[in-house]
Amino acid sequence: MNAAARFIKMVTFWELLKGMAITSRFVAKPKVTELYPDVRPVLPYRTKGRLHVEIETCISCRMCEKACPEGCIKVFQPSKEVFKTDKRPVEFYISQEHCLHCGMCVDACPTGSIHHSQEFEMAIYNPDDLLFDKETLPYDLDIKRFRWNFIENVPVKK
Amino acid sequence: MDFATIMQYAGWPLIKIVILLIPVFTVVAYMVWFERRLLAFFQSRLGPNRVGPLGLIQPIADGLKLFLKEDLVPMNSRPFLFKIAPIFAFFPAFVGFAIVSWALPWVTPSGKVHPFVVADVDLGILFVLALSSLSIFGIILAGWSSGSKYPLFGSLRSASQMLAYEVPMTLSVVAVVLLAGSFRLSDIVAAQEKLGWYYLFPGILAFGVYLVSAVAESNRVPFDLPEGESEIIGFHTEYSGMRFAWYFVGEYANVTLISVLGTTMFLGGYDIPFVNDAALYAAHPELTSVLGVCAFAAKAALFAVFFIWIRATWPRYRYDQLLKIGWIVLLPIALANLVLVALLKLWLLR
Ligand code: SF4
Ligand code: SF4
Repeated sequence: MNAAARFIKMVTFWELLKGMAITSRFVAKPKVTELYPDVRPVLPYRTKGRLHVEIETCISCRMCEKACPEGCIKVFQPSKEVFKTDKRPVEFYISQEHCLHCGMCVDACPTGSIHHSQEFEMAIYNPDDLLFDKETLPYDLDIKRFRWNFIENVPVKK
Repeated sequence: MDFATIMQYAGWPLIKIVILLIPVFTVVAYMVWFERRLLAFFQSRLGPNRVGPLGLIQPIADGLKLFLKEDLVPMNSRPFLFKIAPIFAFFPAFVGFAIVSWALPWVTPSGKVHPFVVADVDLGILFVLALSSLSIFGIILAGWSSGSKYPLFGSLRSASQMLAYEVPMTLSVVAVVLLAGSFRLSDIVAAQEKLGWYYLFPGILAFGVYLVSAVAESNRVPFDLPEGESEIIGFHTEYSGMRFAWYFVGEYANVTLISVLGTTMFLGGYDIPFVNDAALYAAHPELTSVLGVCAFAAKAALFAVFFIWIRATWPRYRYDQLLKIGWIVLLPIALANLVLVALLKLWLLR
């Protein structure tokens, strides 16, 4: 019986046919290819994209500037008089060109003003276009903050 | 020599060749696209879908890209042989289409018969087999003239592989010829129509042998040792640009030709399944011809899908296994099948 079964398996190329049956199942399965420019990818929540800064909540403490290993942040504090009432920075430069997306500045910020966004398309023709100041800095309150050490900032899924 | 004679011997054949080559080139180009798409589907990918709707302009883009590439000739190659070698690979595959009979002949109202074939040669299948042996020159010349050891080894592997598989393939074809009693492809189809069975059933062994050796002949997975795209280096390593494209197109033309020949020999060619062709032809000749071509294409597409399917599934054979399959397994099966078919023909199908 065993030998007969083996013989039948041999002449019908059973293993090869089994393989073909397995591959044929994949034809109708959903594909893993991402259709990137047409369909935007859903990025993980912790994506370390381009830095966003909320100037309104920034207190010009320059912690981010000190923390940055690349030295690509430059914060100008307002004058002492102004600082007493209005702590927002006079000027805030980020050279996104050198940024490592390491998140050191995000960790260091005491107010959570600086944070990563989900933006990742930063290809440009002129490197100077990646130098942002207070006016051109992307500033989008809709983008949820994420900080590594402030776990309570992570929104709970509803 | 009057005009009619010139037309008969030069004019009509040329027109037919042009009419045939345009769809054949298109089919071969889109075979590449089809293979890439279907292979991708087997692997949970989508394949080329960016150029044009569904990626349908991809073959043109590929051709354009290869055409614009630099044509490199290695320094220590034999330039003349290096340059003509691709022609040997490219040309036989396309010439083979000349003898394929595509549909029942078209009768004009004035009573002239136009067969749907460029040259209805008496020894049609022999002609194709002879030509397909010629294509090995392209591979050997490519390996030898490249002036590099890797292509040389690739071409040597290919040479022994083609020798090993030429013989069983020819024997499987001989079985069909025995059943049909003719080498002419239109006769083979007519014999199948008369029998009422496609030769797939009396010649199931021959069909299996043909299928395996056809895959090996066209250097495809699982017998793609001459190329060995993924690991080992193949015979066209030194080729680039348009000359590489000739090998590439030649390979796909070969696959198409093998599918078409297999359809003619084992699946009844342009015979429309489940329909009495002769009766339909007497009533609507044009309709039968058109439907016949469609049936032919559909059956040949089955072959193509099968080839792609096994490419998506099976791993490559080792070199010694490959030769073993050719000489120790396929050849005895083909020979035994020949005897069986002869007896069958003698007793049952007379
Ligand atoms: S992410 Fe890293 S490199 Fe970029 S600005 Fe912040 S600290 Fe500097
Ligand atoms: S660390 Fe935060 S609050 Fe302090 S300057 Fe940088 S962005 Fe503003």
